[in-house]
Amino acid sequence: MDILTNLAFGLKVAGEPYNLMVAAAGLTLGIIVGVLPGLGGANGCAILIPVTFIMPPVAAVILLSSIYWGSLYGGCICSILFNIPGEPWAVATTFDGYPMAKKGQAGRALSAAFFAHFCGAVLGTIALTFFAPVLAAFALRFGPPEVFAVMLLTFSAFVGLVGKSPIKTLVATAFGFILASVGIDIVSGELRLTFGLTPLMGGFNFIVAVIGLFGIGEILLTVEEGLKFEGVKVRMRWSDITSTFRDMRRYWKTLLLGSFVGVWMGFKPGGATPASFMAYGFAKEAMNEEERAQFGKGHVAGIFAPESAAHGAGTSALIPMITLGIPGSPTAAVILGGLMIWGLQPGPMLFVDKPDFVWGLIASTWYGNIIGLLIVVAFAPAFAAVLRAPFPILMPLLIFICAIGAYAVNNRMIDIWYMMIFGVIGWAFKKLDYNMAPMLLALVLGDMAESAMRQSLIMSQGSLLIFLHPPITLPLVIAAALIGSWPWLAPMVRRMRGKGEGQSAGH
Amino acid sequence: MITKTADILVAIILLGFGLIVMWDSFRLGSGWGMEGPKAGFFPFLMAAIAVVGCVVVVRQAMKGTSSVKGNKPFVPSGGMKPVLTVFVPACGMILLTEVVGLYVAAMIYLAGYIRIVGEYRWRTVLLVSIPIPLIFYWVFEKIFLIPMPAGMFGAQILRF
Repeated sequence: MDILTNLAFGLKVAGEPYNLMVAAAGLTLGIIVGVLPGLGGANGCAILIPVTFIMPPVAAVILLSSIYWGSLYGGCICSILFNIPGEPWAVATTFDGYPMAKKGQAGRALSAAFFAHFCGAVLGTIALTFFAPVLAAFALRFGPPEVFAVMLLTFSAFVGLVGKSPIKTLVATAFGFILASVGIDIVSGELRLTFGLTPLMGGFNFIVAVIGLFGIGEILLTVEEGLKFEGVKVRMRWSDITSTFRDMRRYWKTLLLGSFVGVWMGFKPGGATPASFMAYGFAKEAMNEEERAQFGKGHVAGIFAPESAAHGAGTSALIPMITLGIPGSPTAAVILGGLMIWGLQPGPMLFVDKPDFVWGLIASTWYGNIIGLLIVVAFAPAFAAVLRAPFPILMPLLIFICAIGAYAVNNRMIDIWYMMIFGVIGWAFKKLDYNMAPMLLALVLGDMAESAMRQSLIMSQGSLLIFLHPPITLPLVIAAALIGSWPWLAPMVRRMRGKGEGQSAGH
Repeated sequence: MITKTADILVAIILLGFGLIVMWDSFRLGSGWGMEGPKAGFFPFLMAAIAVVGCVVVVRQAMKGTSSVKGNKPFVPSGGMKPVLTVFVPACGMILLTEVVGLYVAAMIYLAGYIRIVGEYRWRTVLLVSIPIPLIFYWVFEKIFLIPMPAGMFGAQILRF
């Protein structure tokens, strides 16, 4: 089979000693980054992008994706031991993870989480291996109108399905696009929105925005809340791992369901958080009365479900990234930005032009998740100890590292100041429910979305009807319109249904 | 300041930015040019969406239908001081960077923060603040060949 030949080729590329070493280094860094509050996978990748400039693209993408897998593994350490979810999709894990840790079963909870991650990763990687090439082959037929329609669907999914305030998500997205258009217009070469100020001519770099919004902003929130890391001490014993194997045999349905929900939801942008909550809810529903009462008090299935969903979603977020050039998560957005910096054009053509790159990435996902599991299981207590580093030492260090990352992108001093400004924006936006993931995505995809739209309009000589062509664009645009307006449609539908029921009751 | 006020204030600031963007895009030409949409077309559209969105946000905040709890303080009591003790010294470090370069500025920043805010012993302070920036200096400048800002005098201070 074609895919298997390609996979074997990719396994050879990713299995080169240098690439395996890069993967192991990336995973270790990723786990540390995932454990630390205020530094997620997106941030870790953003800070290390300058380092990848001296690497070949395959090694570079392996490094970044390994950081991603590592940060997914590392995230659950923080939520289980310290009851502090490092990422929004880890919230559901704290429900049962922390109670278990407090009962003295921290080792068992952690090992359950790690193996759940692995299950989600395996299903996600299978989807990536077998579904991505098919989708890419299909997407090869896409022209500018189709690309624009896919983008429209992506952003309307954020507005309609993710976040607490749809209108604020819309505003944040629009500002992401505005920030992306600052600087030189790639079509006409004119200076836009620079107001004659030299620092604005270079535009805003998404890496600086990531470090500011997600790094500095998160640090400010952490100190404001005065979080104290008074966690539970942990030791991983062999018996914890064997008991996890027993739990896995017993709750294999929960694991499978969680992974499946994750992979399915992760495909859509911003899917990881709803996926983890959905998986938790489904797992609880599927239990009998007696076991359901244990949920929230430290039931191991309450860890299995959200964690396998989160990792499954994280993995399948790469599928739209490498096939369509549309990332499904903030970290995938940063990796996509990296691709552009390395001079690769994201999209379906990658499968044709750079098979070693694409299949190296897919194969390294297999290696990465296996090595990642071994690393976390073996060194979990060591990684947990990172959080015991005293805050007054950790915090200024993090800011120093963030500053290095922000400067290294373009060697511009102004970028460090932008980072601080984005930090304040991130801090205020988070408190006011402005969703920053679509804002970041808009900043990364701004040029692509804009040129797709302008090229389509040139093709149609200004007619908007070009976005309503069957068979691809029309259904995508209709889906986008429905999903995007769902927050406003849903109450209307509910009211109509309520009325209908009232009438039928009257008759 | 309660959250409701902050909500409205932020929306009005964003609205202002949106209007500025609309004005500049209009100046560039937001319509149809010689061969397709002009340079200001896309930003104008986005700014228009942002402006309308901000008006809705302000209305929601006034009516109390916003998703954030309006009557809570925007910054919880005692929260502003730690935020400023992080933010202001960090800005100080960046200012210092312009003079002595990032690595020396980081040494001063780390030492100052760990000593004054963390109240650690001098031994701990020096053990952290001197070697760590040096390690980063070695990794970035010597191994990865990524230069960091040297400021006006940084190149004279770190000469190895």
